[in-house]
This record gives sequence, C-alpha cells and structure tokens, in this order.
Amino acid sequence: MTPRLKPAALALLFPALVLGWWEWESRQSAGHAYAFAPLEQIGRSFVDMLSDGTLLFQAGASLQRALTALLIGGSIGIAIGVATGLSRLLDRTATPLITTLRQVPILGWLPLVALWFGNGDGAKLLLVSLSAFYPTVLNTQKGMQAIETRYAEVGRLYGFTRWQALRLIAWPSALPLIFTGISQALAFSWIATIGVELLFSATAGLGTEMMAAQVAARTDVVLVCVACVGVMGFALNQLFGLLRARLLRWQPPIRN
Amino acid sequence: MSDPRILRDPALRPTSTGTGAVRISGLSKHYAIGGKAMTVLDGIDLAIRPGEFVSIVGPSGCGKSTLLRLIVGLDTDYDGEIRLDDARVAGTGLERGLVFQDHRLFPWMTVAKNVEVALLNQKLPRERRDRLIAEHLALVGLADFGDAYPYQLSGGMAQRAAIARALVNEPKVLALDEPLGALDALTRVKVQAELQRIWMEAGTTMIMVTHDVDEALFLGDRVVVMSSRPGRIARIVDVDLPHPRDRASPLLHRLKDEILAELTREPREDDGTLVSFPPRIRN
Repeated sequence: MTPRLKPAALALLFPALVLGWWEWESRQSAGHAYAFAPLEQIGRSFVDMLSDGTLLFQAGASLQRALTALLIGGSIGIAIGVATGLSRLLDRTATPLITTLRQVPILGWLPLVALWFGNGDGAKLLLVSLSAFYPTVLNTQKGMQAIETRYAEVGRLYGFTRWQALRLIAWPSALPLIFTGISQALAFSWIATIGVELLFSATAGLGTEMMAAQVAARTDVVLVCVACVGVMGFALNQLFGLLRARLLRWQPPIRN
Repeated sequence: MSDPRILRDPALRPTSTGTGAVRISGLSKHYAIGGKAMTVLDGIDLAIRPGEFVSIVGPSGCGKSTLLRLIVGLDTDYDGEIRLDDARVAGTGLERGLVFQDHRLFPWMTVAKNVEVALLNQKLPRERRDRLIAEHLALVGLADFGDAYPYQLSGGMAQRAAIARALVNEPKVLALDEPLGALDALTRVKVQAELQRIWMEAGTTMIMVTHDVDEALFLGDRVVVMSSRPGRIARIVDVDLPHPRDRASPLLHRLKDEILAELTREPREDDGTLVSFPPRIRN
C-alpha cells in the first residue's frame, strides 16, 4: 500500500464496519429490513435517483441555497466584523446585541420567520444566512482587534494612510481568523440548509426529499439523502481547506 | 562610488550628498510610571556627521532604544531638539529609517513586496521602483529571494531583508535598534561584515544601538557609551581605524577593555543619579 493510500484506507475502515453491521441487521426480519434498508436496495435507489436526475437536482438546490446564504451572511458578517473591530463605539453598541441574539438557536427563529416570511425560499435563505453570519462576524472582529503594534509602527515609519494601514496591515493580519470564521460558517450553513429544508418542506432540496421519502416510507431514499449530505459536507470542508491553504500560503505549514 | 579606496578611509569618504547630519541638543525624555515622572534620557547632546556610523552601547534601561525612536519620530514627546540637516524632526519621515531588533517583515507579503511597501508613498515610475527593489535586494544578498515569504528565511536573511526595506527609500539616516541581537553568534559575525559593506556602499548615516561592544567597535566610527538612570552620555570613543576593519586589530581590543571598564564601573556616591530602592528585608 502506498503511503498516500493509507489515510484513505483508514478513513474507510469504520464506514466499512458499519455497512457490514447494517447489512447483518437488515437480514434479521422483515421489520428490520424496513428500518435498516438492505444495502442492495439503497444502492438501487441511488442509481435510480442518479439516472432520473432527482439526486443531482435536489443536491444542487441545497448546495446553491447553502452557498448563497454563506455569501450573504458571510459578507455581512465580515463587513460588520471589520466595522466593530475598528471602531470602539460600534463595538460597544453592536457587539452586546449580536452576542445576545446569537444565544437563540437558528431553530428558535423558526416560528417568527414562518409567520413573517412563510416557508418559501426567502425564509430559508434568511435562516441559513443567519447561521453563516455569527461565526464570520465574531472571528472577523477578533482578527481586526488583534493588530500588533509591531506592524502598525512599520506602517507609521513609511507614512501609511489609514486606508493603507487597513488594507496592508489590519486586513491581511486578520485573514487567518476570518478564514476560520468562514470555514465554521460553511459547516453551519450546510447543516442549517438541510435543517430548514426538513422543517419547511417546500421547494427543492435534499431535506425536502428526505421528508417526502419518510412520509412515503422509503427508508432507502432517506439513507441515500443522508449519505449525500454527509459526503457533500465533507467535500465542501476539504475544498475550502485547499482554498484556505492557497490563499494563506504565507503562513508556515502546520506540523502535526 | 567607483573607487573602493575612497570608501575605506573615513576621512576620504565622500560627503558628496552633504546631507544626513544629525544634531541632538539638550534632549530629555520623561515617562510617567505609576504616576511618578521618571527621567529616561537627560541632557543628551550629540552631533553626527553625514555618512558617519555611530554605535551606542549602554546598560539595559539607559534609554538608547528610546533615543532611536525619538530620532525616527515614532515617539514625539520630548524636551530639547533633534535636527536633521538643520530641519527640526517632527514625526516619522521617509528620510529617516529604522531597523528593529525583530525584523518586522509583514508575514503575508513576499520579501520583494515587503521592500515595495516602503516605497508606497513615493511617487515613482514603475520601472524605477522595480529597479530600486531589485538593487536593494541585491545589496543585502537576497536577489534570489524576492518571491520568498518571511517564514521561509533564516533569521539572518530576514534581518537583511529588513535592512533592504529600510534602505530602499534612500534615507539620509538609518537607525538600527539592536538589529543583530536575535541572531546566533556565527550569523551575527557574518551579518556584521555585511552591514559594514552595505553601509560603505550606501553612504547613509547610521546610528546603531547594540549590547555587543565588539560589534559597536567593529562598525562604529565612534562609540557612544551611555550610563543609566537617567540615560546620559558617559563617554564618546573615537575609533580611528579605516573600514573595512580587521577584528584582530589591537586598537579594537584596547578600546573594548576601556569601554567595558566604563560600563562596569561602580557608580560613585556623588553621581546623584542613583535611584534609591527600599532596603531589602532579611530574615
């Protein structure tokens, strides 16, 4: 086994064990076969959903929702984080409110949002954006507040304007924390997307598909969706890790 | 500066630019510590010739780093006067550079970009700016490292990059605050020789604070010896030896002994400069 293949093999060890146990459970009785759909049936549903385009369509809808919300919530979060990070007045007026609102779980807003905006795309986008907003605003703020005097003095020596100091010192030195915020926001918005789709089962999305499958007693379809959500979330996280490593290539590599 | 012999003799070294003369007169600096005023620098008078290399040595807390911060204008709260070529120093300015003990390169920029930011507020045509950057990277021996990030450099290379950044504006005066203090002994000796060559090529007035008497003597045309509490100039030692210098020179060794004697001298009772500490309680 080549050294590169080894981690992949290790990562697949537990899934393989779970699948084995799963298959064993499904063969115990008819009731078991309902709760634990046999692997073969799941596999067939997966192929069916793939070939008729359902899976791609629903997964695409969820992905688009999550990324749009990440873009909206994330950019507002970064903008407010920069503002509150630079201005003490804004920090004192806005941060306590943000911290308080943050204590309310996303699902806590559900009744109000449903009342005001219904259960359409707008309501979902709002809730998912909110889940992307908190981690970006707090991390950006922390990053902007941690500007080192050491570097600020270099800016003074070379006559940096306020804008130059912001662009060349404060912003890049805050970037690692901003990226931490975005990667948390990415995970939260993916989770929140599936969550709101399950609860507001209207319009397209993997969550909606799962809800429909549950009602139709199609455990196999539910499981295909669950696996799809997991794998996509994992892939998003990995892709973002690559992007981060590329954009922050000035940081010394972290050794484990 | 085509004729290297001209560089070697301080008396012959051209002061063609005619600028870079620093005159410090009656300079004092106080800090408020715990509501009590403390004098850090007291009555400093020092005239530095254009193109001169002046080393400053002294015990910790004698205010030598503070003096450099005042010269470059990072700290503007003081009594007395600092003049550069007869103009009073007020705030920071591109004609006065500073190299810190920690290199302070921006970790998020390549070495070339780090040098370039020093030129940010100089209105220069692109080609001239690029040439200045390339020339100064070559001057410090980092011509091939423009695209490297600071974390990829050794301590000595990073400090040389910081020197390139400080010199790229062609400042009249360069202050160096223990620039080699963080380097290991071997690298330090190498970079000292580099610094001597850079100074001879650039012709900039340099004022270097150091803890290392050997280093002060090897590089300095003059060595200013300071005493502490409050920081005062105890003595100025002329090092009458042409550059580049030989470390084995007997003169350097004799002067080293003299300076060390000065630095380790017991303060006299009548100095009146001692801070009285509460007596230690013994059991």
